[in-house]
Parts: sequence; structure tokens; C-alpha cells
Amino acid sequence: MIWLTWRQFRVQAAAAIAVLAAFGVVLAATGSHLASLYRSDGVTGCRGGGCGQLASSFLDDAGAGAYSVVYALGIAGIVLAPAVIGLFWGAPLIAREFETGTFRLAWTQTITRTRWLAAKLALPGLAAMAVTAGLSLMFGWWAAPIGQAARLATGSSFPLGMGPFSLLAFDAHGITPLGYAAFAFTLGVTAGLLLRRAIPAMAVTLAIFAAVQVVMPLGIRPHLFPPDRTTAAITSLSSLSGATHMSGGSFAFTVRNLPSQPGAWIISTGAVNASGHPVSTIPAACRHQGQSCLASHGIRVAVTYEPTSRYWAIQWTETAIYLALALALAGYCFWRLARRLS
Amino acid sequence: MTAVVETDGLGKRYRRLWALADCTLSIPAGHVVGLVGPNGAGKTTLLSLAAGLLAPTTGTIEVLGGRPGAGPAQLARVGFLAQDAPVYAGLSVADHLRLGARLNPGWDAELARSRIERLDLDPAQKAGKLSGGQRAQLALILAVAKRPELLLLDEPVASLDPLARREFLQDLMGAVAEQDLSVVLSSHLIGDLERVCDHLIVLVGSRVQVAGPVEDLLATHHLLTGPRRDPATLPAGQQVITASHTGRQTTLLVRTSDKILDPAWTVSEVGLEDLALAYMRQAGPGRRNHHHLEVQK
Repeated sequence: MIWLTWRQFRVQAAAAIAVLAAFGVVLAATGSHLASLYRSDGVTGCRGGGCGQLASSFLDDAGAGAYSVVYALGIAGIVLAPAVIGLFWGAPLIAREFETGTFRLAWTQTITRTRWLAAKLALPGLAAMAVTAGLSLMFGWWAAPIGQAARLATGSSFPLGMGPFSLLAFDAHGITPLGYAAFAFTLGVTAGLLLRRAIPAMAVTLAIFAAVQVVMPLGIRPHLFPPDRTTAAITSLSSLSGATHMSGGSFAFTVRNLPSQPGAWIISTGAVNASGHPVSTIPAACRHQGQSCLASHGIRVAVTYEPTSRYWAIQWTETAIYLALALALAGYCFWRLARRLS
Repeated sequence: MTAVVETDGLGKRYRRLWALADCTLSIPAGHVVGLVGPNGAGKTTLLSLAAGLLAPTTGTIEVLGGRPGAGPAQLARVGFLAQDAPVYAGLSVADHLRLGARLNPGWDAELARSRIERLDLDPAQKAGKLSGGQRAQLALILAVAKRPELLLLDEPVASLDPLARREFLQDLMGAVAEQDLSVVLSSHLIGDLERVCDHLIVLVGSRVQVAGPVEDLLATHHLLTGPRRDPATLPAGQQVITASHTGRQTTLLVRTSDKILDPAWTVSEVGLEDLALAYMRQAGPGRRNHHHLEVQK
């Protein structure tokens, strides 16, 4: 059965290898220059407070070249790859067998449907994970200087300066792309099994996968681990790339980075009073006055954040969630096929 | 007489529609059995249930004494050729043989190879480029070379032109003669089956209207023509299948194992096709629609 699966899959496999090779060539051609730029800008081995400045200037130099284009394309490619796999490998996998009637041929050979599905899921499923893992590994190597500089840089608003937790960067690095690919693939297979038509299955796969990829970073990822908390004086807002917003009777702070926690993911910013309780209304005495009045009332900036030390824990947890979803979908496919609803 | 397929109250429902309902029948072993009925009679559903592609909604079905599709052992014993002979369009003829060899422990490579040669199929040809007849023959080779005890063919010739139809059936009969197979083949084209089957089952609306060896059926059915008469006045042993009347004449198809003694009748033999059609017509006004009966001489 593995033979038949491979025979049916080899064109897609060749396409995947071609994409991986092209990706690798582009990254290899530009990666060594980027690394040498990182060294020549003096970020390698720098110590102390000057590092932030050096890192920022490296990011500016890198952004001036074609690196920002490669960086953006690389992230886009890795973020889109699981969706493409789900659509073009997953959805047609079983749906095409239904459309052409060949499931009747396959299921009446001397092989149970369970084994048939196992082979069909295993080969392209593992290939899907290998492809995205390969993309992520290569890109991780290429973008390592940018990632390091982005952690060191002091408040760079430059696109290359996105921290490790920023929305798309997190999705394109580490092991999460592998989990996304496994999930997207099995989602496509399940949709194809239920809808029995490749095109509708592709549409449903895309819709559900896109929804999950929005809900995960915005609704679930921030709650995977309870964030750390810290407070800072209002006077230090400028060093946090922060600001104060006052309107009507209430006020709010924004904070973009924590110098004590470079690269940390800032989840929420609020304010606490002298006794440590959250506040958002301007004290009566401070009406029509500046933020210094708030400070004199003992109000401090309160920030919750995930430190970079928790980066891999979050990566593993999120990947595990996607792999669990993929396993659940695969299990459902086995269960449904065993009930022989053709 | 042992049965290759035995059903009891068998039913299959798709959402709210019953494709097969309360079907009880027994298909004997060692025959080439023609399963005839109009479209919608449940032939495809019955064969898919027997091949293990579907699970029954109600009732039971046993094939060669086992549950269809229950495991590799059961799958190995039943060869199935689905309607329109599905094959993998992107795979070559040789790939299909490799597929058969890899997925069937009992694969008879020699048989498959010799049939491919005899049929003059190009092993390098993509299955998607084959003609309808060649595709059906390739699918038949796959079904036969796994060396099944029972071969189920669902409308195997429906999409073939008359020449391909004849070649396919000759090919099938050759395989049956070589391998001591039990065969069930369905068709709404009675003319096709007449040449190859020795046992007939007429299925209309999930019900067996008539079943038996072709020879017996032909020997016990007679067409009676005579002066107009009420069919109810016939002797007890004569079962009227269909009756038609003109002003002065009555034509009856009767089933009886007795001799027709009444000299008023002109007795003539009835062909298998007319016999099957009569049973389909008898089955009810809803089934009289001739659009569903593509009769082929």
C-alpha cells in the first residue's frame, strides 16, 4: 500500500522538493552576506549598553538591502505552506478517490480500509511535516542574526525588528510550522472524506484553517502560560517606548518593550495605584493635568509579559496542541471509514 | 445448494432514501448469475453491500459464509468490478498490475500477464487514455487475477459499445471457465446476460420477482394466445404473470410446471428477455416506465 501511496504522491513530492530547493538556494545565496554584515556591524560579541544601538544599526543596514524582502517572503512562505499542503495534499487525498470512483477499486483489494488510510495518511502527512520543518530550519538559520538583533535592539520600529513573539515571526520559526502542517493536512483529509468533493473540501479546509490560525495567536497563545508581571514608574515610560493616553475621565498606558526583558512578549499594559490595585480613572486632583500628577499619586505602569525564556515552552505547547488536533482528526477518519460509509 | 450471497431483510438507507429495503434473497454457488432489474431496483446497492463497500442499515448479508469486507481473508475471496470500471487515470496498465500484485497476496501474475498480452493492452499506456472497453478489461483483470471465489460485476457492459460488450463478455466467460468462479453480474440490459448467465434473478424495488436456473425458467413459462377469457378461470397450477386483452383475444404469460392441456390456447415459448420484462412490468405501475428499461436485443 505504501507503494501505491508513493506512486500517487510522487508528483507532489517532487514539487515539494523543488520548492524546498528553491527556498534553500535563495537563503544560501543571501544568508552568508547577512551573517557577515552582522559581524562587521559589530553586534557579534558586543557587551553592555552599546549593543542595542549596534543591533539597531545592523537592522537598518539589513533593511536597506534586499534582506527585508527575503525576510518577508520567507515568513510569508512558511506561514502559507501549511495551508497550501492542507489544500493541495490533504483535501484531494480521499476526495479524489470518491470523485473518480477509484475507492471502489482500492477497497476491494485484499487490504483493509484501515491499512489503506494508514498508508495514505502516513506518507504525505510525514512529508508535510518534513517540508515545513525543512523550511523553518533553513529560515531559522538565515534569520538568526535578525532575530538576535531584534531582541537586542532598543525599540526599533523597523519591520525586521519584530521580536520572537510577534505575530507572524512566531508562526514562521521553530517547530510550530510542523504542527500547523500536520493539522492542515489532516483537516484537508477529513474535509475530503466528509464532503467527497475536492474543491468544496479545499474551500472548507482553507476557511477552517484560516480561522484557527487567527484564533490561536490572538485568543489562545497568550493564555497558554500565566504571564509574568512587573511595574515601572511612569517616568520610565519613554525607555519602554511607551506613552500615556488620557481621554475624558480615564487614562491608559501603552508599552512596546521592556529593556529588562529584551524580546519579551508584552501581553497587556495597565496601571496600578500605590496599594497595587488596577486603576484606569484619573484621580479628581489630577483632572486636566499631565502624567506627572498621576505619578505623584503613586500610580505605576503595570505590564504583563511572557519572557523569552518561555519561548520554547510556548512553541512546544502550541505544536503539541496542533499535533493533538491532527491526531484527533486522523482518528476520526479511521473511525468513520471503519463504519464503512461510502 | 450452497449460497454465495445470502441476505435477510437487507436494507440500506441514504439519509431519508432507501436504496434497498427488506431484500431477502439467496444466490447459489457455481453459477453465472444475472441480476436484472430496472434502474433503482437496488442492484448496485446490493452488490456494494456484498463487496463490503457499504454497511447495511437493516438486516443481514452473508457472502461465502462471512461478513462482507470483514478482513483481508474475506476481501481476498471476493473480486469486485464496480460500475464504470474505475481505474487510476494517472497510472499505467503496468502500474495497475503492480498495484494488484502488491495489494493481493493471492495475486496470479502469470494470469494477469497472459490476459494483458491476449487483449493486446500496452503496459506503458496510462489507464486514463484507455478506451471504455479496454478500461473495463483492465479492471476485470484486476478483479480476476486476485483469484477470488466469487466475482461481482456491477453493470460491467453498460458503458461499452456493442463490439466491446461482446468481447468483454467473451473474456469474462473465458475467465470463468478457467477458474471455477461463481459470478454475479448485474445489468438492466437483459439481452447481454442472456448469452452468459445460467441463473437469473429479477429484482424490482428491492424484491426478487423471480429467480431460478435459466433453463427451468424457460421451461416453465409459456405464452398463451387464445379467445378472450378471464385469467381468473385458469386451472389452479397456472400462475398468470402478465395478461393483455384485445377485443376478442387474450394473451397470457403463465408459469406452470404442468402441461397446457386446453386446446383453445396457442402455446408458444417465451424468450428470457420477454420473461424478465414481464416480471418487471408485473411488479407494479410505478415500474412500468419504459424509460428505465433500456432493452437491447
